[in-house]
Amino acid sequence: MEPRVKADIRQHIVSTWLSGDDRGFSEDTDLQESGILDSFSTLALIAFLDKTFSIQVEPAEVNAQTFKSVATIARLVMDKLARNGAGA
Amino acid sequence: MRIDRLVTPWAQRAPDRIAIDGTEESLTYAQLDALANRFAQAFRAAGAKSGDRVGVHVPRSGRAVAALLGAARAGAVYVPLDPGSPPARMKLVAQDCGLRHVVISPPLLANWLAAGVREPVEHFFLAADGPVPAGAAPAEVHPWADVTGASPAPLPPPGESPDELAYMLYTSGSTGVPKGVMISHRNALAFSEWAADQIALQATDRVASVAPFHFDLSVFDLWASLSRGATVVVVDESTVISGRRMLDRIHAKAINVWYSVPSALVLMLDDGGLAERGAPSLRTVFFAGEVFPMKHLRRSMAALPQARFFNLFGPTETNVCLAHELAISPPPEAMAIPIGRASCGDSFAILDPEGRPVTDGEVGELFVDGPTVMLGYWDGGRRTPAKRPYPTGDLVSRRPDGEVMYHGRRDHLVKIHGYRVELGEVEAALLSHPGIQEGIAMAVDQQLIAVAVPADPSVSVLEVKRYCATRLPRYMVPSEVRLVEALPRTSSGKIDRVRTRTAFIAADWSLLRPAQRAEARKES
Repeated sequence: MEPRVKADIRQHIVSTWLSGDDRGFSEDTDLQESGILDSFSTLALIAFLDKTFSIQVEPAEVNAQTFKSVATIARLVMDKLARNGAGA
Repeated sequence: MRIDRLVTPWAQRAPDRIAIDGTEESLTYAQLDALANRFAQAFRAAGAKSGDRVGVHVPRSGRAVAALLGAARAGAVYVPLDPGSPPARMKLVAQDCGLRHVVISPPLLANWLAAGVREPVEHFFLAADGPVPAGAAPAEVHPWADVTGASPAPLPPPGESPDELAYMLYTSGSTGVPKGVMISHRNALAFSEWAADQIALQATDRVASVAPFHFDLSVFDLWASLSRGATVVVVDESTVISGRRMLDRIHAKAINVWYSVPSALVLMLDDGGLAERGAPSLRTVFFAGEVFPMKHLRRSMAALPQARFFNLFGPTETNVCLAHELAISPPPEAMAIPIGRASCGDSFAILDPEGRPVTDGEVGELFVDGPTVMLGYWDGGRRTPAKRPYPTGDLVSRRPDGEVMYHGRRDHLVKIHGYRVELGEVEAALLSHPGIQEGIAMAVDQQLIAVAVPADPSVSVLEVKRYCATRLPRYMVPSEVRLVEALPRTSSGKIDRVRTRTAFIAADWSLLRPAQRAEARKES
């Protein structure tokens, strides 16, 4: 499951904010420091996560740690899916 | 002084000196003077009256210059037409200014006729030998012999006042409909004489003609040179597309004064070997028309250590109104060079949106007054006078040392999610990346978009974004970066922002072809 989640998030970020150019991009790339996420793109990304994974990311869960990279976002999504009991 | 008077004194003093060193033919001062008179006589014989507009649609050459001069000597207003423009645009221009007389090269006339453009032209003058095409009726087509067979005797001088309309340059307005900018003799010569004085232009100089005649840079190439008895060396349309050919021509013709958009110099660096070959004959480089990316300016200055470099500034409506000579190559940390101080007898003010002068360092709009400010817009013959002082739409600030810095176009100031973003600042950061050759920024639907040409195929979108994020506030980092093979250009060689934007919005990736991608450098 986790690789699928990571792949979906990664794919979305690359196509939306990197014009499909994934060179140099990894699951650990810092999304803030690399200019990919700002407050507006973060909102758009949350909408994508909510819709794609049928979850509800709460404002309190959004911070520099959880939204640092594809890996950290995937972890947040996995945690939420597990808590929803929909992880299986 | 008037343009129509310029060549005759030199034709008398130095008749055999070359005035126009063309690709196919060269004209001495005596020949240019006589041919201009023949054109004037031919226009007059075909009914051209004082104040009529005469179109010149001929590739840059001695004949084309003689046609411009001949129109002025007949008291007409010359309108240089872009040989690279499609007939549909020519039709708009011809109708807007009511062109009844047009000097045209035979292949261009064939294009006009194929596209059905005749009205309101009554007389076409072919600028070369060849058969007279059918299908122009009711317009009359005059063979070249009608010009060469006309009398070389001068007409009576058409007027005395330097404030009469001398020519019109059509610029693309923001709406896409071309606008005729009305320039008087005084307007043109205030600039060309000022520039000639700056570099003590003299008869031994060999001045390049790189810019098309419908672009105001050419005003220096022609009228400054011909007022000082210098030689204009034509760098023709098929040469300016290649850096190597341009540099070959500089070497072969010992060109020593050069005025172009920065892109032409960049082309000579990248595709002409300017850094290795140099150009020892060049003593002066004027550049204008767009911002010179700093890294390319430094490379140009390093390649031409003997040359003086001048940054000239001003829209078509004011020609050059500010200027800055670069004393030394800009230091590595410099992000921009000044556009300088008032020139050509002009004065300026920097005003805030309420019309109050700003303090040093504060950004405001540049207003210009003085002899280079156009008469106004032709506007289908309604003749809208220029506002004075003229609001240029350019955002500038003054440094404490008096030098003016450029910050971009007022219409390039956009709001993204409530933030004010000056696109020029985004572009400066983008272009300072060593792997970016050229690029522009634009706002589309509340998104900041950059479209750029990489200098090196290993440059990735991620790398460009990360680089911008280290230099700009987060809201100024482009949300989308498109790396493309090349950017569309206007006929004057500048990046065509309108077409780039339109193609981007339409997702027309045939005009904005994706750049080649090589493996990205390792992420650190």
